Amino acid sequence: MFCVLEQDLGQAWFGSLRVSFHPEQDEEDEDDNSELDASAGRFVRYQFTPAFLRLRTVGATVEFTVGEKPVSNFRMIERHYFRDRLLKNFDFDFGFCIPSSRNTCEHIYEFPQLSEDLIRLMVENPYETRSDSFYFVDNKLIMHNKADYAYNGGQ
Amino acid sequence: MEVDINGESRTTLSTLPVPLAEVSPGGRMEAEKPRCSSTPCSPMRRTVAGYQILHMDSNYLVGFTTGEELLKLAQKCTGSEENKEESGPNLRSKQVDSGLTRSSRLYKTRSRYYQPYEIPAVNGRRRRRMPSSGDKCTKALPYEPYKALHGPLPLCLLKGKRAHSKSLDYLNLDKMSIKEPADTEVLQYQLQHLTLRGDRMFARNNT
Repeated sequence: MFCVLEQDLGQAWFGSLRVSFHPEQDEEDEDDNSELDASAGRFVRYQFTPAFLRLRTVGATVEFTVGEKPVSNFRMIERHYFRDRLLKNFDFDFGFCIPSSRNTCEHIYEFPQLSEDLIRLMVENPYETRSDSFYFVDNKLIMHNKADYAYNGGQ
Repeated sequence: MEVDINGESRTTLSTLPVPLAEVSPGGRMEAEKPRCSSTPCSPMRRTVAGYQILHMDSNYLVGFTTGEELLKLAQKCTGSEENKEESGPNLRSKQVDSGLTRSSRLYKTRSRYYQPYEIPAVNGRRRRRMPSSGDKCTKALPYEPYKALHGPLPLCLLKGKRAHSKSLDYLNLDKMSIKEPADTEVLQYQLQHLTLRGDRMFARNNT
């Protein structure tokens, strides 16, 4: 949990985040109310400064816990969009996770090159940049989280 | 393999199977634009991710708001508007926007009295202490909470009848024609399987 900034390389660790979830299969819950609550728990809204879009590499530390069952081939695929345009697709392979463990993983995002016009649009239109994170265990989808982003922080 | 926004292939550190465009049950290729999904959907209904921000570099990250917090903020602001006839996705209307505008003013005011890292002004300019590496913030603190409400609430947080993901929009299968490793087919099948199950759930709730 630290922040290291390397201006010359355009890299930064923007923060540390603890995400608590259990990447195991679970039974369906058909309660409609719980569906809404679960959706709220799977959404995060970020506010970044415009300088964030100038970075080339960004690191984020994610901590997650595993339940009683071991998890094999744990993988996350994350897709970032601005409006209806795919910016980039990220793929992180956690591999095998032992049961009843707390794990820390550092995601390293290599940003795509963004044009000045696109950067301006992204700054001027907060929360129109969105992402989906799909989590898989043994190639089976177990969880889907969402986030949206603003880049006008501090203005 | 990844591609950037210009469609050019780029080598990456990880092997990344990029899904092809989705295939409908009838076997036809869907000519749908890839777009961000409206509603998160997970087969693990009971598993809810908990987010706890531990450290934020305020040079870059100034706010972090969970879905629950957004709902609470919006509910405080909209208040009686939620009891009006219009509900569900229609909340994304002038009523919600006006409510959010009011809330933004409210929380902007509140933020003057609620700045966890406020330090005395220097040369007439208020400063905010930069968190040191040893600082830990065990509670999610949106430093600019009023800004979290400037944008519309995501569809997944709106009450009422949601626009369910019948259109498979949350799959976001893009159209890039890149050769894929074999396991992508398994991936696509799992994603489509999830969507079909979600559709059956939706149909069952309507009966």
